[in-house]
Amino acid sequence: MFRRASLLVYLLLCIVPLLLGLGYVLAYSFGLIGLLNHGFTTAHWRAVLLDKTFWQSLGYSLYIALACMSIVVVVSAALLAGFRKNLTQGFLSAFIYLPLTLPAIVAAFVCFQLWSKSGLISRMVYQVGWIANLDQFPEWINDAWGLGIIFTHTFMATPFFTLLFLQVYEREKIQRLEQLAFTLGATPRQAWLKVTAPILWRKSFFSILLYLVFVMGAYETPLLLGRQSPEMIAPLIIRKLQKFNLLDMPQAYVISAAYLLLLMGFGGLVFSKIKTRMA
Amino acid sequence: MKKTLLFPAILLAFIFGFPLLFLLLLSFGQQWPYPSILPLHWSEETWQKIAWEKRIGNGLGLSLLISLSVGSIASILSLLLAKAVAYSPNQRWWLGGAYLLYLVSPVVLAASWQFYFLRLGWAGQPLGVWLAQFFITLPFGVIFFNSFWNEQQRSLEHLVATLGGTPWQTFWRVSFPLARGPLLICFFQSFLISWFEYGLTALIGVGKVQTLPLMVYQFIGEANIFYAALASCLLLIPPLLLLWFNRRFVFIER
Amino acid sequence: MIRWIAFGILFLVWGCQSVSNKKTEEVLNQPWEKIEKAARGSTVNLMMWTGDPLINAYMQDFVVPEVKKRFGIDLKIASGQGNLIVQALLAEIQAGKTESELDLLWINGETFYQLRQIDALFGPWTDKLPNAQYIDFSNPFIAKDFQQPVDGFECPWGNVQMALIYNSQYVPNPPQNRQALAAFLKEHPGKFTFDNQFTGMTFLKSMLMDVAGGAQNLAGDFDEKKYATYSAQLWTYLKSLKPYLWREGKTFPENVSVMHQLFASGELWFTMSNNDNEVDNKVSQGLFPSTSRAYVWDSGLIQNTHYQGIPKLSTNKVGAMTVVNFLISPAAQFRKQNAAVWGDGLVLDVNKLPAKWQTEFQQLPKRKYVPARAELNAKALPELAPEYMIRLSEDFRKNIIEQ
Repeated sequence: MFRRASLLVYLLLCIVPLLLGLGYVLAYSFGLIGLLNHGFTTAHWRAVLLDKTFWQSLGYSLYIALACMSIVVVVSAALLAGFRKNLTQGFLSAFIYLPLTLPAIVAAFVCFQLWSKSGLISRMVYQVGWIANLDQFPEWINDAWGLGIIFTHTFMATPFFTLLFLQVYEREKIQRLEQLAFTLGATPRQAWLKVTAPILWRKSFFSILLYLVFVMGAYETPLLLGRQSPEMIAPLIIRKLQKFNLLDMPQAYVISAAYLLLLMGFGGLVFSKIKTRMA
Repeated sequence: MKKTLLFPAILLAFIFGFPLLFLLLLSFGQQWPYPSILPLHWSEETWQKIAWEKRIGNGLGLSLLISLSVGSIASILSLLLAKAVAYSPNQRWWLGGAYLLYLVSPVVLAASWQFYFLRLGWAGQPLGVWLAQFFITLPFGVIFFNSFWNEQQRSLEHLVATLGGTPWQTFWRVSFPLARGPLLICFFQSFLISWFEYGLTALIGVGKVQTLPLMVYQFIGEANIFYAALASCLLLIPPLLLLWFNRRFVFIER
Repeated sequence: MIRWIAFGILFLVWGCQSVSNKKTEEVLNQPWEKIEKAARGSTVNLMMWTGDPLINAYMQDFVVPEVKKRFGIDLKIASGQGNLIVQALLAEIQAGKTESELDLLWINGETFYQLRQIDALFGPWTDKLPNAQYIDFSNPFIAKDFQQPVDGFECPWGNVQMALIYNSQYVPNPPQNRQALAAFLKEHPGKFTFDNQFTGMTFLKSMLMDVAGGAQNLAGDFDEKKYATYSAQLWTYLKSLKPYLWREGKTFPENVSVMHQLFASGELWFTMSNNDNEVDNKVSQGLFPSTSRAYVWDSGLIQNTHYQGIPKLSTNKVGAMTVVNFLISPAAQFRKQNAAVWGDGLVLDVNKLPAKWQTEFQQLPKRKYVPARAELNAKALPELAPEYMIRLSEDFRKNIIEQ
């Protein structure tokens, strides 16, 4: 009884708002609602799917997220390997939490002030005498590779994953397994690669995937730190939704719906793979 | 601590703490032309102009009220709901819904909800903003607590039941104490989601429900980096204070 | 059970709508005294951009207490820029609301055009305001918004002239036209750019008029043929300029604020503003170096006006009109024009004002870093029909950004 009531509350408070939202997005994308729409049409879907902008943007978002998460996983694992004791006690354990409280817009702002051509780092390098003027400072912000975006998200995600790895390490009692490996004659390197890393990877795979999707949907960071082309998916949606041409609005809903469907398909694929591997 | 690790650890701590220090410094600055490393003038004028405005105080109060209540109610309720979801035979489908919410672009989600909130007459009111924020934090909590209600927990409950404990006793005496650590984390994360929420608050609140982020976010996007730094500080201080008082917000210490 | 819930939701979403529609249109037939009287004790919700502490202080410390004292109106300020205003009103209309959450909106041309497109504005109402008699409606820059007559659907609040801003420390003789700009940038590459939003597009529009051989050639409704001819020439010019722009024109500042930051740090030698007074404002904030100067180049830049509009669904139109009447009063405009307060351009015709105010306005402190408005007016260009901006923005993406 209690469980049924709970599920009902869950349905009402979580699923219904979601479905209402999705219904609105789909209806808008097919021209069924919307002040400037005139009834059912697939024109908006065609306009989006047949144009390379959407696909480019999808690919670019995926690239940024993959690059970011690769670095985050490696760095977090390295921090765990090198500083495990310091992460639970002492001053480092206090400082590592700080980036967790930064919202993306503030992190992007700080990154810009640090790494742009006229940013703090460039000033320091100039004062040391390595560059003669700010034009010689490399392009790290608004560059073709999205380095600024990747850096910012790496900075925000690394503490999170370091702490996550630490929890997995303790919960799965990896230390004991490592010691077992040592007694069996493994070198520290072997123990790390064959025992620790695989467990960490498998136990946090899902979180890594989720964070990947989160980075793919970034808005404030690419807006300030990226280029107008290629463009990540969220800035593309907002451009269609809010820029000068009101007639572009339905396309924003098409892009969100198409993006959602693609991710769902991909998510289903991953799930079924995991399931078969476990079976 | 091993001597060899001390220096790298200090360096790391510096890297993680630097953005906050940098923001605080900039908020007192005036004029920062290339290539000087520090701003040319220092002044508390920016703080006086923005931070001591009366409406900032009101915004801070309203934001704290909303975020603390959203955070605490959402995390407690999601603990209960997550149990039903986790024990349900259709767990995967139920949970899928919660995940789905985070794949929709927040602005698009806000735009679609705005329609329904307007219909219901909740737009432009603190209650509407509260509900909208609640709707995005609750699924987060359910996902968060899903792993809490695992096999181990279930067998523990069975054990209590066989020893004659009522469901209420099981929850109150066994599950809840175990959930205290995760609850704190969930509360803090939900608090943060609510605290930094801008788009949803602006749309559902029609700009009238003036939370602190709503008031100071616009400064971050503007030309004056010193105002932006100050606005960032204002946004960061409350979560940092919470963190200061209770480090267990971010992870369980054993 | 599930079916119950579904019914409940359907009922909630489509069933309950407020149906009370106060016939505020009637107020327009009443004399002004009655309007002011009806406004007493009411609340007016004004949505406006709140990203400048000077403007916020002008509103919170002067306008809000004054309208409370004089008219007993509680003026509440909601934060929101143009796109939020459009989205809010659009959603209200879509949701079939009969009462808006907002009563007054600070808008400019782009937003005005979009709001007219969705028929969200109330009007005509401005000729009801007693202080409207002082407004300089003979000035086409005030009476027309993006080539559309404002027709009483929005009330002029401030008039601004677009200006280029430069650092005189590095640029002793700023370029006066497109050719001079190209020559200058070949010698000093990377020091100039324009943003990807409203200000940058306004700059492109100004150049389009120059390419077309003058504003009169593009006046009136959007002309596809003319646009095709002249914009092609504009893209050719910009492509030749591209390698010498900031970051070789591969990226542009996302908005004018970022461009101001780059100017303040010295990475750029130029920035631009839709408000000719901004340079004084930013220097006094300690943001721009005191060697900053603003000018309008010889080939001209756009001058435009920003306005106050009332949503069609507003429930307190009398209150909104009363507030606007105060906003365009000589006292309020006088204070607003002072660069130490805000530095927003006047919409009143000083010659029409009572003699006492005429002398007051003449004694306003002169602005320091930009020539007097009277000197700039000869170079002012009018706004073009809104389609030009939409097309320029899309084609700028195709022809310059994505190349």
